[in-house]
Amino acid sequence: MGEKLLVTSSPHLKGPKTVRGLMLDVILSLVPASIAAVVIFGPRSLTVILASVVSAVASEAIFEKAVKRDVTVNDLSAVITGLLLALTLPPGVRLYVPVVGSAFAVIVAKQIFGGLGTNFVNPALAGRAFVMAAWPLQLSSKWVAPFTFDAVSGSTPLAVLRSGQTAIPSISDILIGNRLGSLGETCVLALLLGASYLIARGVIDWRLPAGYIGAVFAGAWVFGKSGAYFQGDGLTAVLLGGVILGAFFMATDYVTSPVTGKGRLYMGIGAGIVTILIRLWGTYPEGVTYGILFMNLVTPLIDRFMVPRYYGYVHDVSLRRKARAAGRRA
Amino acid sequence: MNGKRSLLHDFTKGFIEENATFRMVIGMCPTLAVTTTVVNGFWMGIAVIFVLTFSNVLVSALRKVTPDQIRIPVFVILIATPVVIVELVMKAFMPDMYSILGVFVPLIVVNCIIIARSEAFAYRYPVMNSLMDGLGIGLGYTINLIVIGGIREFLGTGRIVLFSLGSFPARLLFDPMAVMLTPPGGFVTLGLLMAILNLVIKRSESKKAAREAAAHD
Amino acid sequence: MRFISIILGGVLTSNFIFMQYLGLCAFIGLSEQLETAVGMSAAVIFVMTFASTVAAAFEQFVLIPLGLQYLRTIAYILVIAGFVQLVEIFLKKTAPGLYKAMGIYLPLITTNCAVLGVALLNVTEEYDILWSTVNGMAGALGWSLAIVIFAGIRERWKFMNIPDVLKGFPLALVSTGLMSLGFLGFAGLFQGILK
Repeated sequence: MGEKLLVTSSPHLKGPKTVRGLMLDVILSLVPASIAAVVIFGPRSLTVILASVVSAVASEAIFEKAVKRDVTVNDLSAVITGLLLALTLPPGVRLYVPVVGSAFAVIVAKQIFGGLGTNFVNPALAGRAFVMAAWPLQLSSKWVAPFTFDAVSGSTPLAVLRSGQTAIPSISDILIGNRLGSLGETCVLALLLGASYLIARGVIDWRLPAGYIGAVFAGAWVFGKSGAYFQGDGLTAVLLGGVILGAFFMATDYVTSPVTGKGRLYMGIGAGIVTILIRLWGTYPEGVTYGILFMNLVTPLIDRFMVPRYYGYVHDVSLRRKARAAGRRA
Repeated sequence: MNGKRSLLHDFTKGFIEENATFRMVIGMCPTLAVTTTVVNGFWMGIAVIFVLTFSNVLVSALRKVTPDQIRIPVFVILIATPVVIVELVMKAFMPDMYSILGVFVPLIVVNCIIIARSEAFAYRYPVMNSLMDGLGIGLGYTINLIVIGGIREFLGTGRIVLFSLGSFPARLLFDPMAVMLTPPGGFVTLGLLMAILNLVIKRSESKKAAREAAAHD
Repeated sequence: MRFISIILGGVLTSNFIFMQYLGLCAFIGLSEQLETAVGMSAAVIFVMTFASTVAAAFEQFVLIPLGLQYLRTIAYILVIAGFVQLVEIFLKKTAPGLYKAMGIYLPLITTNCAVLGVALLNVTEEYDILWSTVNGMAGALGWSLAIVIFAGIRERWKFMNIPDVLKGFPLALVSTGLMSLGFLGFAGLFQGILK
């Protein structure tokens, strides 16, 4: 017999999925939201996005050259980091914020660990948390009025809710994005469009965003109204702020989310709980960044305790014993 | 004990060779906590120099009469003495600095640097050498604190305030990054500084090796 | 209510590692494996909780009546060292299995600045014996959470391509920085719940 048998282990993936292909899908899914940002907040949005993306790609190339590794900017992961970070920023932000933020995200939160696949926090969110702590004023006041492109220093709807007032935009305004907010969070319709593309292409697991949105909704509904229970506005809580952006595009990052489906569900729920905790009782009006970052930190532990099933593993203990006994008798 | 150790070497090794923060990686808690400004780092450094030198001298002087089994508790008592002195002096003459440094002044008593030097050096070597060791390592540590504090204060507030000599530079050159003064900024700064120092040492070592290889040709 | 706020404070908003810089040496040194981290955590929780009790009791029954507060540092460190020694002896006699499991960690805890630190912080906060114990436990729980999370993360580093100059402490420090960046979000949390 001269033929060689090729034996490989499962899973056997069919199809042309490459890292670059996946990244392209994600970028495509973010295009609607990016276009919406430019339409709603003006050409400044494009400048912020470009600054962020260029900084991210340049940082990655420079660092990889410096440590004598192959330059991997072609896998587009740095582009996504830059894009995601830009989408979390207010439109009027000074340009050093996305530049420094992207550099931090790519170098400190990803490259020093060894590049793609080695980071333990979502780089874009780490970058955002960093610039939030470095220049809090830039991230809380550089808003731009929708469609008129005037610089405004008022409060976003989320901050308004926080202070107890109830004058927030209508649901249709929220969905279209006719309100103050950061580049990517305002046009919820565009985000949902992109998200459904990602789910349809099988890039993200629906359980994670489901858990996240469900937890935020439930938390806001039960505890949202001060002094009373089960009277909060869950829908508004889910649509405002970065929940949609975070749940579908950030928390689902493969490297920093659990491996198993159940694990992902728990991560989503956990992130939602932390987000609602911070929104209701913490200092910041927005808790998405920290919710996801915190669950990133415990993802290794989740993976540790949720060993995935492997082929041939019988979950029912009694069946397993019988099979083992039968094997011994044979 | 092998011959007489060079007193000068015992003093200077604390600066680079046995740098407490970057080479021995010891006593990290106060390092990060007090380096929010240059001045804070400076005074903590002075306190550590005093305690380290004092305790090294005491431990060394008593080394021949300290039984091996109870040497650690003995070290702790001998270290606690100068710590209490520092605490009382600071409280009396520099109450503002004392409250800024907070719990880290009494915590000098469990600072790994001091116990480690007692154990590894003062317990084995004569008093003068121990004195030099204490001064050198303490001074090296103070320089660390000032450098780290300088970076964090400059990036975090845009300027460095030097006692009552005024602040430098007078005008803010850039929008300061408040995060540098917080724990995340501190951790990341220290980690990156350590990596940069490693890089510098690696480069100089490979240059030395290249020079030696060339000299052999 | 106060119980919850102190616990939440120690674990989340004023986490001993991520916000207060206490107990760093042991944290970085013992976080490479999950089992080690969990073992050390158990020891730390036990010692920190009851060392706080003992220290607060000593403060109340010895230092204050005798007016010797200025000797607090010496007194506390001796009290803590003595307590740990007693625990070691007690464990050795009554639960040798447990002693073997925890034994290596116990002497390390005496120099863990978090233990002496929390005892001193209890005085600053003017907690009585009961609340000192609670605060000690809260700090210990926060410390344990930090080290267990970090061990989970560090165990993955075996598979990564870390540049040489960063291996070991530098990367550990930067990672701790990233983790504490995540914990910043909890600021003001227990104050909010108290309302």
